[in-house]
Amino acid sequence: MSLIVDNISYSYEIESGISKNAISNVSFTVEQGEFIGLIGHTGSGKSTLIQHLNGLIRATSGSIYYEGQDIYDEKFDMKKLRSHVGLVFQYPEHQLFETDIFKDVCFGPLNQGLSQKDAEYRAFEALRQVHLPENLYYQSPFDLSGGQKRRVAIAGVLAMKPDVLILDEPTAGLDPKGRDEILDHIASLREELGITIILVSHSMEDVAEYVSRIMVMNHGHLVYDDEPKKVFAAYQELETMGLAAPQVTYLMHELNAQGISVPSDVTTVKEATKVLADLLTQSEKSSTSKR
Amino acid sequence: MIRDITLGQYYQTNSVLHRLDPRVKLVGTMVYIVSLFMGTTIPVYLGAAIFLGILIAISKVPVKFMMRGLKSILYILIFSVVFHLFLTPGTPVITIGKFAITQEGAQLAAFMIVRLMLLIIGSSLLTLTTTPNSLTDGLEKGLHVLTYVKVPVHSIAMMMSIALRFIPILIEETDKIMKAQMARGADFDHGNLIKRAKAMVPLLVPLFISAFRRANDLAMAMEARCYHGAKGRTRMKPLRYKKKDFLAYLVLIAYFACILFLRRF
Repeated sequence: MSLIVDNISYSYEIESGISKNAISNVSFTVEQGEFIGLIGHTGSGKSTLIQHLNGLIRATSGSIYYEGQDIYDEKFDMKKLRSHVGLVFQYPEHQLFETDIFKDVCFGPLNQGLSQKDAEYRAFEALRQVHLPENLYYQSPFDLSGGQKRRVAIAGVLAMKPDVLILDEPTAGLDPKGRDEILDHIASLREELGITIILVSHSMEDVAEYVSRIMVMNHGHLVYDDEPKKVFAAYQELETMGLAAPQVTYLMHELNAQGISVPSDVTTVKEATKVLADLLTQSEKSSTSKR
Repeated sequence: MIRDITLGQYYQTNSVLHRLDPRVKLVGTMVYIVSLFMGTTIPVYLGAAIFLGILIAISKVPVKFMMRGLKSILYILIFSVVFHLFLTPGTPVITIGKFAITQEGAQLAAFMIVRLMLLIIGSSLLTLTTTPNSLTDGLEKGLHVLTYVKVPVHSIAMMMSIALRFIPILIEETDKIMKAQMARGADFDHGNLIKRAKAMVPLLVPLFISAFRRANDLAMAMEARCYHGAKGRTRMKPLRYKKKDFLAYLVLIAYFACILFLRRF
């Protein structure tokens, strides 16, 4: 068991005396190697929640345990937690600052106290993991394209060798190609390194395609925590929260409503293609046999 | 966190003071500050304090907010009190070693405290009752005469209001970048001065870049809406003096006359 979140709440003061709960009574556990999608509309508290997981925000009440240790314990080393739980913020390319990409990626490992040599090795590894072309390593990070910059920023966190990697909207503002590339890299990272990934996203399609578990935040509460098919089965409830199911799920429901029997728990385009192809061959067969 | 810093501390409520023309309030603040330097006698300060008390009551701004401004000058207050207490020549009251507290010193220190407090509360009353935007509007209109001596008043006012507008955005941005670098193991709170100064680089470089990016975007957005400076620019809500503004000027004149009169005692 790697991360246990036990009944945490976080409130902040909007005006003196009046406080607002950003997240209330959230509990869950994260097992090593999981791929979790965290969804919720803007302001639902998901960004606040993930910042708790590496100790950037301290919960007003409740506790978080990493590897059985209370992270709010005075003796607990927050810096160590931050190297175990890597957090990639939204638009992470905005935090690049060094003169060349390689140096920037070294920043994290050097802060961990590694020697220059080890840090460089880590940086090299991380940049390879995000598939950045090698001829770019010593260029200024500001000369790259948006998608490349983002990959460098993700590498900057990866170089710290986290056990848990949290990504806040890693695909925001990217074109479809860049989006698919990033998500594919993330998925393969999990397979190669066995790290846990928590993906915060607005896109139901992205989430449905990659993750094995979905958590849904609404008004600071964790309302669903289940496998994608079960969560998306409640698409009507999701809609009241300003969310939705993947488009193919709607297609399946629509087909069912038209009297064509298809499984309604289809969530990815791949699955849908298969289901629809099967359906077509079946109907062809039945029409030829009728003749 | 860093977000708690309040700049441009406008307090939203509906009072006569809030609705006054910003120019009146600007002139008023200046008159008030000048009046505080008119004399160091008890009647003058008493008059100024009473006038300010009445204004605060009219403004409906909780006194607590007024006091907040004082916190920032606490050290200056302490400094000036100590200096005045010990370094004013005159008849000594208490002697501590080489230093002596003189009667004149005590008096001067007391006046100093009162003057500084009234000064700060008086000027924070301006920012508490006037939005930064109407303040710059007031400045622009008030200083319009300077355009005849080739001072780009409009540009300066526009720069000011943009700067003010961007303060909360940049604070938020700083907070975000700080957190992002902390997630990468950066440490902003520990180490000696040089180490801390060095730790600022990963914060300042992205902050500057984002400021430039935002400035660029804003300039583009303004040009896309045909902004071309002051020439021929009209306002949605032009500043015009109303009856209450003239009344306020009369009150100001009356106040100043009172202070001049009180000076004689």
